[in-house]
Amino acid sequence: MSEIEHSPEDTIPFFPDHVRTEFYVVLGVLAVVLIIAIAGMIDPVGIGEPADPLNTPLHVKPEWYFLALYQILKKIPPMVLGIEGKIVGVVIPILLVGLVFIWPFLDNKPDKSRKTYWIRMAFAIFAVITIIALTVWGEVS
Amino acid sequence: MRFFSLKRFGLLALLVALGLFIFITTHAQAYNLSPGNSTNPITSPDWSLAQVQSSAPALVVTPPPPKEEPCLSCHILGQNKGLWTPLARWTLFGGLGLVFALGVYRSASTWVTRSPWKPLTNRAADWVDDRYKVSEPLSKILKKPVPRYALRWWYCLGGITAFLFVVQGITGILLAFYYKPTPEAAYNSIQIIETQVYFGSAIRAIHHWCANGMIVMCVAHMLRVFIMGAYKRPRELNWVSGVLLLVLTLVFGFTGYLLPWDQRAFWATTVGSEIAGAIPAIGNLALIFLRVGWNVTGETLSRFYALHVIIVPLVTVAFMVGHFLMIRRQGIAKPL
Repeated sequence: MSEIEHSPEDTIPFFPDHVRTEFYVVLGVLAVVLIIAIAGMIDPVGIGEPADPLNTPLHVKPEWYFLALYQILKKIPPMVLGIEGKIVGVVIPILLVGLVFIWPFLDNKPDKSRKTYWIRMAFAIFAVITIIALTVWGEVS
Repeated sequence: MRFFSLKRFGLLALLVALGLFIFITTHAQAYNLSPGNSTNPITSPDWSLAQVQSSAPALVVTPPPPKEEPCLSCHILGQNKGLWTPLARWTLFGGLGLVFALGVYRSASTWVTRSPWKPLTNRAADWVDDRYKVSEPLSKILKKPVPRYALRWWYCLGGITAFLFVVQGITGILLAFYYKPTPEAAYNSIQIIETQVYFGSAIRAIHHWCANGMIVMCVAHMLRVFIMGAYKRPRELNWVSGVLLLVLTLVFGFTGYLLPWDQRAFWATTVGSEIAGAIPAIGNLALIFLRVGWNVTGETLSRFYALHVIIVPLVTVAFMVGHFLMIRRQGIAKPL
């Protein structure tokens, strides 16, 4: 099952060596959590106006991690290739997530070359920059 | 056999330090008896009532500072009623007593059996192992070798995500103690968490910011796996479960966002479920499933609350266990 056979000098035991490293990482994260806690007591997250179904605010914005999707929906033209733009804006992200979901079955060649590595790297950077750009655009608009 | 064990000495030093601390803090208490609830039998003269003789104006009489009788006897006899003093005292002297009793038992037992003393932790481990035979499989699990290339920082991202999930679980449970998922009470209960509950604002800040951090870490971990090509055969299902976990994290974000029941929450959910309603064929079904009706109401809040605190966590934990077991079985993917 396990395809990797390591020689003993290439490995460290899970316990205690690896657990100790993990423990230091956890301590680091906990330090950040503590800073967040102190910051939260000085400047709380806060809460806006109570919900009022009869009063629509001027700017409705989702959380930042949905902002890129929301921006696509907002800026898509009303009709794309004879299909209603809104439907296109909803279906394309779903299809993209589906593509990401089944990606290992499409790209299934056990390839370890430098070239494909850089292609994947470029693709990832492109995707991240696109999403960040859309998010920033949604944030400022 | 070492007489002077650092561990034992450390425990004793800790107890002595605790004793000193208790003495210093409660000693001051014995001197600072406020006049109101005086359990002090020795009453000092009330100098504020003292009359300064006005017949001799040239002479300025300043009354001496009020004499504070410490009444150490009341302190030692426990007549000063407090909560922490007796508790701390019981802990300290009880701990010392236990150490002493254990020492007596240990000396006696070593003397009687003529064999070296077996530490209590070893005894407990042997007791369990004697019955359940866990030491062999456990050591097999713990001794599993981890490749050295997995000690770079970018291999931590998934682990940090998992740890943040634990943080979210703990702070979420703490918030659930005070949160009320009804449209009448939700907003108010958040305000109470922010202003009245001890460390409420800190807990809510952790829950809020670590939720954002979890999404960032999730995406970073996914990018790492993608860039290094670690999703390839034989780890396809690990990738699939990982994508599902990312979607579940986003569902956490979406459902949790409604819970404060403020304007932002209400309208973000209205718009969000409207987007779900635009899906062809199943749109209306999705909309009604999310809103429980055609509008965002208290029913929606209840549903989102149940999703956020029960269903999504359970599904997430199930997928996380699968994710980890697969990693464990297949090992960490080799870099280029």
